[in-house]
Amino acid sequence: MNKAEILGLFKKVAENPDWQARQWKEEQNGKVIGFLLTDVPEELVHAAGFFPYGISGGNSRLERADAHLQTWACSFVRSSLALALEGKLDFLDGLIIPQTCDTTRMVLGIWQHASPLPFLLNFRVPRQVDRPSARNYLIGELARLKEHLENYRGSEISAEKLKKSIKLYNHNRALLRKLFTLHEQNPASLSNKQLYTVIKASMLMPREKLNELLTELIKAIEQETAVPGNRIRLVISGTLLEPLEILDFIEESGGIVVGDDLKNGFRYIDGDINEAVKPLEALADRQLNKMPSAGYDIARNPRRYFLVKTAEQKKAHGVILLHLKYCEPENYDYYDNIQALEKAGFPAIRIETEYGTTSLGQMRTRVQAFLEMVGGEING
Amino acid sequence: MAEQKAFKTAGLMKDLMAKYYTKGKESREKGIPVAWVTAVSPVEIFYAAGLFPYYPENFGALAAARKVADKLSMVAEARGYAHDLCGYARCGIGDAYADEHPVGEIVKPDLLFCCNTQCGSLPKWFEVASRFYNAPYFLLDSPQIGNEPDKLCEQYFIEQLKELISFLEEVTGRPFDYDRLKEVLHLSNEACRLWNEVLDTAALKPAPFGFFDACFHMAPIVTWRGTQEAVTYYQALKEEVNERIKEGIHAIPDERYKVYFDHIPLWPKLRWFSDIFAAHNALVAVSQYTHSWAYSFDLERPLESLAENYTEEFVNRCFDYRVQLKVNFMKKYGCDGFVLFSNRSCKPNAYGLYDKRNVISSITGLPGVVFEADMSDLRFFSESQIMAKLELFFEQLSSR
Ligand code: SF4
Repeated sequence: MNKAEILGLFKKVAENPDWQARQWKEEQNGKVIGFLLTDVPEELVHAAGFFPYGISGGNSRLERADAHLQTWACSFVRSSLALALEGKLDFLDGLIIPQTCDTTRMVLGIWQHASPLPFLLNFRVPRQVDRPSARNYLIGELARLKEHLENYRGSEISAEKLKKSIKLYNHNRALLRKLFTLHEQNPASLSNKQLYTVIKASMLMPREKLNELLTELIKAIEQETAVPGNRIRLVISGTLLEPLEILDFIEESGGIVVGDDLKNGFRYIDGDINEAVKPLEALADRQLNKMPSAGYDIARNPRRYFLVKTAEQKKAHGVILLHLKYCEPENYDYYDNIQALEKAGFPAIRIETEYGTTSLGQMRTRVQAFLEMVGGEING
Repeated sequence: MAEQKAFKTAGLMKDLMAKYYTKGKESREKGIPVAWVTAVSPVEIFYAAGLFPYYPENFGALAAARKVADKLSMVAEARGYAHDLCGYARCGIGDAYADEHPVGEIVKPDLLFCCNTQCGSLPKWFEVASRFYNAPYFLLDSPQIGNEPDKLCEQYFIEQLKELISFLEEVTGRPFDYDRLKEVLHLSNEACRLWNEVLDTAALKPAPFGFFDACFHMAPIVTWRGTQEAVTYYQALKEEVNERIKEGIHAIPDERYKVYFDHIPLWPKLRWFSDIFAAHNALVAVSQYTHSWAYSFDLERPLESLAENYTEEFVNRCFDYRVQLKVNFMKKYGCDGFVLFSNRSCKPNAYGLYDKRNVISSITGLPGVVFEADMSDLRFFSESQIMAKLELFFEQLSSR
């Protein structure tokens, strides 16, 4: 496949999120285990022989969830539940919900009643990550998850299988990070939207196939000559990147995304799992050392300083704080983040989004205005 | 409607709460560190360590009851804290930035301690506050457990209690006093026992005491739990309730029905609600909320027992456990129906109520209703909508 074909395929996957999973299920006669984005050890699910499927939310018919979940709950979770109620997730055999906020903590019971599944489990991530107790506990929690997967599958997950899955995912993350760097160096060869579309698609298709495609794609891009351009460099911070159209708006105004801390962005592909350590311990370490996110209290690496540092390292001209409406943890971080960024000399803007109702026209105008302001500063 | 006879103990409450606020100030003057703590957290450790535990949630409830929550909240909103965050947090953050303090200034912390059994709002609010006041913050993390006690989570909790104790030893510069902890646990046990004996009288028909009374009298079980003051207070309250039983003084004039209520009351409308229920001869008898403080510690295994009691608290439990708990309360108190408050502020208690209503009705056969509002902020209060729901509910009650 050539570059255009590969990118076309990724686009098709992202636009038809159930396509690959359904196909895999039919061909392999296997089981698909969904997860809410993204703090879930997919390696364990993969090692169990299941297809880990990242539910990416939806933009229509959220009202289907209204009988179960208040309209002032986060629209990512509401839209995901709405998808299930609409039958659009009927290929799932199971679901793992990482408990990173009150919504994800409470929705499991609702899901069980509204749209029961044979395998439904919470993944209780520790919310403090600095003290030794967090690591001990998380290793135990990972063991619990593993045991549940083993029971569901009917046999043990061997250490060898788990190590193989870890290797596969490490390779996958390395490839995606490589792609990120290529995009940064040569935005003309891979646009903002193309990059994040690939990341989105990566949660929706079999990893083995994904790695092959990524390898080919990287090869193709590396052969292109870099076109140096004078782009406005931006960091995006938030919970989830949604809607992807914002990336087009940034592109139109001459911007490039050079960093983020999004659960379905760089935070998803950052950090490897140490293959030399016992697998569960290694999985725990990756989780605990992930970049800061609003759901966790991280004293050693406070989020606002992390953002400032990222903006500095990436030589960013500005930061977009993408705020998913009703995301409480994100909202509590916002003011101090923006204060710290502005103090460090990084212009920042908050843009509110909501699955299903974001007004794209308004978003475009605001992005344009922000980039004009930031761009003016570059030139002036 | 006839005015209900006021509790004599109410006077005692006033003194006690005044004392609580003075103690905060005095502690600061004496150099005793003020520790912010959360309502469902092992405060016993702080009393044993000789610190003054201060409850910012109580500040939020006070602001709400005095109907100034929106004013304080707007100060926070001006900085980008949205009005859909927990009202207590909005009041606390608002007060930090505010020039005017309509309920007095929130007591500044020397350190902050949060246990996240209850919700995810408290840890984020306390994080914000620890940056604002530049004070160290300790999060005691408590993953949610299912129907059964959970060894993994208990172990995690115990390990963190030990980390907490080392942290406090550093703050105070003295070794932790485990003998004192035993005394404090004993005092907590006593206060919880007395409090629950008082709550239980709501099962009598007619009852001398109901949920709205409990909302009034609960402040000491939250803020003074672990001290002799709380024990003395609930002894007095219990005596008074017993007198009322003898004298035939009832919580409402003509009790015909008992109702279960979930969860926190609408503080600025407490009186409005209690009048409406009384006017329909319905006693709101019980809520999981006021029963949150029902601990029983084993003095021989202090840390283990703290871990068991706090991780097994319903706020730290799954959907099904909470349904069963409500159903059990309805049975125990002989309820004829239930009212569930979908509280915009308190997501962990609001999410799931729509499905719970159906499940509970199918288990118990009782009528139930869910209504929407915010516990502290009247901008989300629609009297007509709530009345319409309650009227329907009262009709169902009377046609049973
Ligand atoms: S009202 Fe609810 S959300 Fe607010 S502090 Fe209390 S438990 Fe947390």
